[in-house]
Amino acid sequence: MKRETLDKILKIVLVAGVFTLPLWMNSPTYLQILILLFWYAYLTTSWNLVGGWAGVLPLGHSAYIGIGAYTSTVLAMHYGLSPWIGMFVGGILASIVGIIIGVPTLKLRGAYFALSTMAFGEGVRVLVENTNKLGPFAINGPRGICIPLQNGFWNFQFISKVPYYYIILIMLCVALFVTWYMSRVRIGYYLNAGGEEPEAAEALGVNVAKYKVIAMAISCFMTGLAGTFYAQMALYFYPKAILGLDLSFEIAFIALIGGRGTLAGPVLGALVLRPVTDFSRIYFSSILPGLHLVIYGLVLILVMIYQPRGIQEPLSKAYDWFLDNMTGTARAKGVKS
Amino acid sequence: MDAILQAIVNGTLTGSIYGLAALGLTLIFGVIKVINFAHGSCLMVGMYAAYWVVLLTGVNPYVALIVVVPFLFFFGYFLQDIVIKPVLEAQSDVREPTEVIIVTTGVWYILDNLTLMLFGAEYRVVQTSISGTSFELGELIVSAPKLYGFIATIIVSVAVVWFLNSTKMGKSIRAASLDREAASLMGINQYRVYNIAFGIGTAIMGVVGCVLIPFYYVFPTVGVIFDVKCFIIVVLGGLGSIPGALVGGVIIGLIESIGAQFMASTWTELIVYVVFLAVLFIRPAGLFGSKLDW
Repeated sequence: MKRETLDKILKIVLVAGVFTLPLWMNSPTYLQILILLFWYAYLTTSWNLVGGWAGVLPLGHSAYIGIGAYTSTVLAMHYGLSPWIGMFVGGILASIVGIIIGVPTLKLRGAYFALSTMAFGEGVRVLVENTNKLGPFAINGPRGICIPLQNGFWNFQFISKVPYYYIILIMLCVALFVTWYMSRVRIGYYLNAGGEEPEAAEALGVNVAKYKVIAMAISCFMTGLAGTFYAQMALYFYPKAILGLDLSFEIAFIALIGGRGTLAGPVLGALVLRPVTDFSRIYFSSILPGLHLVIYGLVLILVMIYQPRGIQEPLSKAYDWFLDNMTGTARAKGVKS
Repeated sequence: MDAILQAIVNGTLTGSIYGLAALGLTLIFGVIKVINFAHGSCLMVGMYAAYWVVLLTGVNPYVALIVVVPFLFFFGYFLQDIVIKPVLEAQSDVREPTEVIIVTTGVWYILDNLTLMLFGAEYRVVQTSISGTSFELGELIVSAPKLYGFIATIIVSVAVVWFLNSTKMGKSIRAASLDREAASLMGINQYRVYNIAFGIGTAIMGVVGCVLIPFYYVFPTVGVIFDVKCFIIVVLGGLGSIPGALVGGVIIGLIESIGAQFMASTWTELIVYVVFLAVLFIRPAGLFGSKLDW
């Protein structure tokens, strides 16, 4: 068998498997874990546009999730606007906020940006936790919002988990496509250049800050959409769940563990780190409180020491090695012994 | 008016302690160009160390400094040497190694949760001879532990500035912070310099721990509260700037205590973020930061 054929077959099997998964997996628990896994992969893919391509480290992306979730929910509850439309209103709002925060901070180097976005994210959490009523809208401070049950497609509410699975899967595919497309057009090259060598890029006439702000706007827009998805899936959300440091950090961790600035990195990172979180919480936190987070911390440190560029690199090497051995042909570029 | 004056005094004293905590962070950042996300956890370690020393020996918390500060210095020294150095070496060509931030966050999770496993989640408080004591200056009441904290801040800041300017090691640290390659070429062992800078930054958290113990609770996640404050302070003052850290700390302390005169303390927290973002818009490099550097 030819190497390319095997490669194609494996990829088609993978895609087909992912898309038909709910047909042969009946456990709603595992489906829920997968939905959340894709949700994280989607968030990280959105984050990656700024955090990966633009070479800075945003640590406040949960604020945009919150903006998306609260906007669409408030619009749906008070004006009966479908969450499908509210989703985009929230996304645009998140994008505008992202631009406002990005314009002054993206001109600066990484550490400032990281800390400022983090303080911004925390500020949004504190603001929401202290606000019971935002003008005429009740957002209930720390207690959060419970969305009234109204099943139906137009209300973005489903009894089964399966529709949520397909929605987030499609969202993830679109996000991946956006990333792939951006990496192939001018803005992607500009961002990459600006992230790697800002001085050199600017000397060549690239307005690095401008492209970073554009990337930030797209990233925040997509992150805002994820907020609405979470709200409609969980039907109950509160500031601690969708705002604050923990979530912002987890997104960054998934990206760095997976491989920052790569297409597959966010998905691989979520594939590795989410199960670590879920299963170690289930199995270890009952033995000793806090043990699962010690394990989490150890995983972070060990991956960063041994694979500072993320697990994407060794995994794709392993995949190549597998293809080579299965087909007995080396890759066309063939430098491996 | 008296209430405001009282708030100003309290805010300055508390803020100076925040500033001292931020000083350790800014020192580490200035040299290694890494934001130490485990900084608050180091403070937590310092507070637990102070707590146990005071509880077991019954000494004055300022006597406990003799044990706590060297302990924290070596804790930071070996933390940098064993955990952070390997990643720094792998990333030696990068100006700002972001991967190290993740490593320090891992250290944060591990430290906080190991402490949780060892000592439990309860809030601990130790009764010291100076807890709750205060001086009266006319109408003003000055809390003694906070006043000592203010004095400690001044002593430590002067000592750090003297150390950086007048000793050989201090000069090596400054050289490495300006240009690590050039410093290496001048025969400075950059990783030793990093270890020592990290050790000093952590040792300062030992001082803060001893200063806080008479009037603050100790619990495993106490560091997170100070973490976020320290980050705001150092960005407000200018990353890597020592006067920036101190002034930024006092500003935050003043906002909190004066704001508390007019509104609930949760809202003062919000004002801190608003002021922070406002400063960032007007002076993105912070009050004392150089725009050229960033």
